[in-house]
Amino acid sequence: MKRKTFLLFVGPSVFMMVLFIAAPLLSVLWQSFHVTQPVYERVEVETCTPGLLGSVCETSLKTRPILDESGKILTETAFVGFQSYRNVLEPEKLRAALKAGSWHEIMNIRFWSALRFTLVFTVLTLPLVLGTGFLIALAVNNTLQRIKGPVIFVSLLPFIITPVIGALSIRWLFIGDGILTAGLEWWLQKDIAMFAQAWTIELMIYIYRVWHVAPFAFVVFYAGLQTVNKDAVEAAIIDGATRWQRLRYVIVPHLMPLVIFLTLIHLMDAYRVFEEIVGFSASAHVISLQWLTYEFLLQDGTGARAISRASASAILTMIGIAVLLGPPLRRVWREQGRGGTLV
Amino acid sequence: MSNPALRQPVGLKILSNGFLGFWCFVAAFPILWIGFMSFKTPFDAFDSNPFRVILGPHTRETIGGLSFADIVIGVAVAWFLVRQAIRWLPGKVEEHSPSGNATLGWLIGGSVYALGTLLIFVVALPAALSVINPVIGPLGANIVGLTTEHYEAVWIDRGFTRNFANSMIVTTGVVTVSLTVGTLAGYGLARSDSLIAFWLLVAALVFRALPHSVLVSGYLPYFITSAEWLAPVFGKAAPTLYGKPWAIIAVLVAINQPFTIWMLRSFFLNIPRELDEAARVDGCSHLGAFRRVIVPVMWPGVITTGLFSFLLAYNDFLVTSLLLDAQNMTMVPAIANMFNRETTASDEVQAIAAAVSITAPLFFLVLVFQRQIVAGLTAGAVKG
Amino acid sequence: MRMKSILLSGVLAATANFAAAHCHNDVPVKTISNAFPAYEIMTAAMQACGNVESELDKDHRLKIVDAFSANPSLYTMTSLTNSTSVPMIDADLLRPLDDLVAAHGGGLNKNQFIRIDGKIMAIAAFANTQHLMYREDILNDLGIAVPATWDEYIAAGEQIQAAGVVDYPIGHYTKDGWNLAFVFVNHYLGEGGEFFNADWTPSINNEKGLAVLERMAKLATLMDPEYLVSDTTFVTKQMQQGKIAMANLWASRAGAVNDPDESSVSGKVVMAAGLRGSERIASTIWWDGWAVAKNISDEEAEAAFKLIVASMTEEIVMENNDDAIWLAPGFVPGDAAKGAFATAAGDAPPYPMNKYIGSMHGALGSGLAAFMTGDKDAATTLADIEAAYVSDAKEKGLL
Repeated sequence: MKRKTFLLFVGPSVFMMVLFIAAPLLSVLWQSFHVTQPVYERVEVETCTPGLLGSVCETSLKTRPILDESGKILTETAFVGFQSYRNVLEPEKLRAALKAGSWHEIMNIRFWSALRFTLVFTVLTLPLVLGTGFLIALAVNNTLQRIKGPVIFVSLLPFIITPVIGALSIRWLFIGDGILTAGLEWWLQKDIAMFAQAWTIELMIYIYRVWHVAPFAFVVFYAGLQTVNKDAVEAAIIDGATRWQRLRYVIVPHLMPLVIFLTLIHLMDAYRVFEEIVGFSASAHVISLQWLTYEFLLQDGTGARAISRASASAILTMIGIAVLLGPPLRRVWREQGRGGTLV
Repeated sequence: MSNPALRQPVGLKILSNGFLGFWCFVAAFPILWIGFMSFKTPFDAFDSNPFRVILGPHTRETIGGLSFADIVIGVAVAWFLVRQAIRWLPGKVEEHSPSGNATLGWLIGGSVYALGTLLIFVVALPAALSVINPVIGPLGANIVGLTTEHYEAVWIDRGFTRNFANSMIVTTGVVTVSLTVGTLAGYGLARSDSLIAFWLLVAALVFRALPHSVLVSGYLPYFITSAEWLAPVFGKAAPTLYGKPWAIIAVLVAINQPFTIWMLRSFFLNIPRELDEAARVDGCSHLGAFRRVIVPVMWPGVITTGLFSFLLAYNDFLVTSLLLDAQNMTMVPAIANMFNRETTASDEVQAIAAAVSITAPLFFLVLVFQRQIVAGLTAGAVKG
Repeated sequence: MRMKSILLSGVLAATANFAAAHCHNDVPVKTISNAFPAYEIMTAAMQACGNVESELDKDHRLKIVDAFSANPSLYTMTSLTNSTSVPMIDADLLRPLDDLVAAHGGGLNKNQFIRIDGKIMAIAAFANTQHLMYREDILNDLGIAVPATWDEYIAAGEQIQAAGVVDYPIGHYTKDGWNLAFVFVNHYLGEGGEFFNADWTPSINNEKGLAVLERMAKLATLMDPEYLVSDTTFVTKQMQQGKIAMANLWASRAGAVNDPDESSVSGKVVMAAGLRGSERIASTIWWDGWAVAKNISDEEAEAAFKLIVASMTEEIVMENNDDAIWLAPGFVPGDAAKGAFATAAGDAPPYPMNKYIGSMHGALGSGLAAFMTGDKDAATTLADIEAAYVSDAKEKGLL
């Protein structure tokens, strides 16, 4: 295909991605190295606010931004180098904690505790999602032809359900005296509060994520199982391969590219974990990297955002994903080189 | 399976089917449960005794419920309708849809069928049963509490129909634009060996990894002030992007592009190059070859990719909640808003009813397209 | 009835109810506001006048600054409160209303005006505060006097717990983030604490701060162990289901805990003044109201102001008397408002209106949980919060 034709084909897609993804990405990168602040002045202001029994007036020295001629807030932007990154990473605290050799103290620095959770979450749910998805695919493939349709339908439900609602529906089962908590209490004969300590919340988050994405792994694996070469399987049977050996040496290698495909997708999505923290109100106990970014972006009560730190934290998240994607991507690269086609 | 070596030992069968049964229960339970809750008064819905949530004694006493006959007949009708959807509907759709345009046929057929089902359950069945119940004595007495007042509150009083319409506009827009743009790009990428194509794919991968919260809050000020900074280009007609559904469509399409082009590229890789090369020899341009040869055979892949686009657009919360105003709000942020208010218990059950309402179309979607999802993935993505 | 007021939010119900209202509006007006019952009532009344588009959004504060900076402004008017008014006034996005008040505002109470340097910038509609709600039956059975201070409150809680009436006697909005920080802010003010030194550097790492944390930890032992996800709705529900005996809660929930449609203990919950710290009542007074955009025409501003007046007429206030503590004329304080008035009659201060407290509130919100979960001791927590505040205020150019 000629370059011009190629550009014609991909043009619209590239245009949209540049406009809505690449451009904001560049501006985030820029902002992470700069700080923009309003210019303030100190003035005496009399403020009267309503009380229930009459107005309350007070005169105080207030810090007010200066407005320019057009009525916009006057701001100044300064290059601050890696200062925002330092504010996020808090290297001095980390050094002190490392010197003291205290894991507990490292976990008290927000970024590092967010990184800990995000990494554990990503790495732990990966095999669980792949494994559960694969087992369901095998089981569905083995079951009666007649019930395959309904089973696939039910299996896909957790994947298609709106994430906000999926998380809430699981939350309702557990929060307060939700019926599953009540059931557990009845079974174990003791008082249980699922939202009271970090490990139960973390556990619920893991379970929710596996519940939510395993169906995707399932459907991909199931589709893969449909394309297993029948001749190869039969040849293996003639060679006297056991069921386990057929699985190990014929089916799994056939599905290997899918494992990489799912791994890539899962690493990207899991590393951005965010909805679960909101849905399970987990922020007191565990936070993730995207939650940290969100927290910086959230306006405080008076409408101010910490854009520079948010940008720095977002860039750090991106770097993290890039590092994680390295190994599977290297594999893709090699296969590309051989002319293979992944995905 | 005739080959005896492929036949499974009984133990394995039990194990595998037992596991499957367990999984199906786990998969469906939370969704079923919010279904139960949505039909009960707050007293029953938040009770810690599961039987009270299912049977709803408070609801039965204060509002009413279902009799044994209601349940039996209701389940029978539902079973019949689902069977028809699987057995009878595909044939009818193929018969009536214009050749080569099965998607449109499915859309129309599916919506008509869904509407009919809704009518049967909301109008026809209650009317018929209100006649039957008093006649059959104890079988007609209410045994399970049930109220539809939360659904009425959501759909009628709170104007959820508008949110539904908005959701439909946004999802239809996203799926159409995303597939049009993505199919072209996917085809281009599949047929190009150049280095640009490779790096474009890597860039797309990086873009997919971007945390969305950063993107979205970056858009907000530009969207709100767009009338000002677009003025030099458009003059007085410069639009305010904030709150406009088509602006949201553009954003969601862009966010979804990386996944779409990767997915479609792999489908096109599985369509032999010889096909369009043959067409080119016959004097077609690339675009002509694409239209004549590729378009007719690409549908399985496109439908599967389209479903993923649909899910993304339909389920999106972050983008829609921040960039749409109340008049154009889609369903997901509208529900989140319900939860976020200074909620009372009845507000919460209403929100649960809304949550069930929003899930119902997804049910239908999967019911109708289930086979296409598997077939599409089999045809494309999974051929290593 | 509460259900009715909720249904009022529906446009249909609103038109039916307010069709007789003496207002008529021809100029298209767009409102954005917070989303709770009182605002639903007011926006429904505005819509009844015609040509009004309303957006009720709990996260409206994320949008209003940008939306009002646009020219013309995306909305004609917005709801405001103590904290959300700060950025709007700072950026000069609100239209002074003195001329409109003179022309059309004769029916408003004088204490509804928010004045900055003498100019009326917003019109308050109702007030809100936090005060004690308790189960009269439980306290009477055990012969416990109604607590007036936090120490008496804790003692009463211990007594109730010891008597085994309920597992966890106290409910409190201690959800991680804004709520938890708000608890600290109130208590710290109640101890007579000052958040800042004269140069706006933080000063919470002191005896008063430590005393507050100690008290919060003690309260936590009397609360459901899931207290870090407990927001106002959660506490309201606990009270409605009879799981707690006492709570220090927002006055706007006073109606719900006694609502027979939802509460299994309706009629048994009594309101009393906010609880005292060692210096003053540890509650803050909030106002909620409306303000008009600057970047709109005078014609639109006038229409908007008339609508504001039409949304809080005596009939509307009287009809929805128990849904808010109205500041507008016509309000008759009932049982539900008893606690709020007792709190205001005491010495509860208004929630501070400045940027520094915004930044401090944010730092408290992300820093306090570590103390509550036991990850950090009190002094370290406060020191870390001070450091977080300094780094945040520096980035925002405040220090």
